Amino acid sequence: MSAEDQVRDSIDHLFRHRAGQMVSVLVRKFGVTNIELIEDAVQDAMISAMKTWPYSGPPINQTAWLIQTAKNRAIDHLRRSAKSESIDGYDFEIRKELRDETRFESELTEDQIRMIFACCNPSIPADSRVALTLKIVGGFSVGEIARAYLAKDDAIAKMLTRAKQKLRTLDLEFPAGAELNERLDSVLRVLYLMFNEGYSASEGSDLIRRDLCEEAVRLTRILLGHPLTSLPAVHALAALFMFQSARFATRTDAAGDLLLLADQDRSQWDRGMLAGGLDHFRMAASGSELTDYHIEAEIASLHALAPDYCSTNWERIIAGYDTLLARRFSPVVALNRLVAVGEFRGGEAALVELSALASNYMMTSFNLFHVTRAHFLAKLGRYGESIASYARAAELTKNDAVLRFIRRKIEMLESYE
Amino acid sequence: MPNYLLLLHEKPSDFSGLSPDAIQAVIAEYVAWSQKLAVQGKLIGGQKLRDEGGKHLNGFGSEFRATDGPFAEAKEVIGGIFTIDAAGYDEAVEISKDCPHLKYGGWIEIREVEPTH
Repeated sequence: MSAEDQVRDSIDHLFRHRAGQMVSVLVRKFGVTNIELIEDAVQDAMISAMKTWPYSGPPINQTAWLIQTAKNRAIDHLRRSAKSESIDGYDFEIRKELRDETRFESELTEDQIRMIFACCNPSIPADSRVALTLKIVGGFSVGEIARAYLAKDDAIAKMLTRAKQKLRTLDLEFPAGAELNERLDSVLRVLYLMFNEGYSASEGSDLIRRDLCEEAVRLTRILLGHPLTSLPAVHALAALFMFQSARFATRTDAAGDLLLLADQDRSQWDRGMLAGGLDHFRMAASGSELTDYHIEAEIASLHALAPDYCSTNWERIIAGYDTLLARRFSPVVALNRLVAVGEFRGGEAALVELSALASNYMMTSFNLFHVTRAHFLAKLGRYGESIASYARAAELTKNDAVLRFIRRKIEMLESYE
Repeated sequence: MPNYLLLLHEKPSDFSGLSPDAIQAVIAEYVAWSQKLAVQGKLIGGQKLRDEGGKHLNGFGSEFRATDGPFAEAKEVIGGIFTIDAAGYDEAVEISKDCPHLKYGGWIEIREVEPTH
């Protein structure tokens, strides 16, 4: 862990969250066409705090101070950019708003949800939505997003600039009726991808990736804080996130190498998080709609509730994956299903099904296909074939953490031969 | 105990790319430092000097010349000041050594305040 990571680990991300809140509030006041000016104003306010608070100490109401400062900066920027026609009308009553804290908090929730919907709008390029949401609502910096994605700062900055051009043209009204469901689908998809980006094993700073998971959970909670978006599908997603988050710390060993579910120390799973996951899972069951998130959450809950790997309810897990695959084919889901098949009906059965999938190029060009195959071959004592499959997987793997995992397996198998 | 003035010199920097997280971490470090002093009863006060504006006044009488400065482009400015209570220069130096200002590339001028009574 770098020194910077240690500092970051010790703080609660208050400023990051405040940044997203301030942008959301100021967008309501000044309009989304001014998004970049608003982001600058918020950044200025934060820097101003950094320069002043060390000497004077932080003000009693930090939020009020930051929002007031950002508002003043935004007005300054607007005056300077000669868009001043209605500035006096902008000099809104933020002080009054802040005095009524309950109302402010509920408006803040709405402002943020409106902003989340905007960043996840289907007209924003799909590959930019997660980054845009992290930047605008999450308060992540360009550098942080770049680190999470192992991308260059410039590339992320360009992507965000393009996405914001589109964002500026959007109507930020709270979607209603049938539109709400459609728009919410897009939002949940973005949060799902955000979480997975953080959860997937990768090199680079682990903490920033963990931050993505936490951010996805935080934004999901914001949605759950509003009656219009506190819906069963959102609870299902929250349940899924929490079941997965409970295992976060046990996915790697002390050296940072990957640990499979079977090898994870279940005593280290976060009980509070699991309980929270169950609460959301119960609330997710209140509707008539069954989403992919419901099914994924159910599968995650079956893992989370099993006292040990052997007593996992594989039969129900297979049924869950069957349902998911019937809805939409996905190589990852198909392979995860086969792991469960292997546990429930044995390695031979899994290998037969794997062979059936081998005609699909999408499968055979996927490293996990070969990892899964190698896994079952090793279990059946077919070490030579297993090594060959792991070697094929290694050829298809770019991710260093996964590569290390594969090499460790090969070394172990070579010692058996 | 004598008072010491800590003048925090710094290079004006561009912080536009700094993340809110990093900003929060910087503030937390300074606040931890000053709060420790406050608890020990050694902190008299701190003041931030405005980055913008500033005047240099020269001359006398009809020769008064007020010029703008220091500028944001200056190589170095005094960002702010702290006043502390210390037994002597040794202690004042010890206290200042922990100030995060040094870690962030600034330097600290320490001056004893001449007691006038």
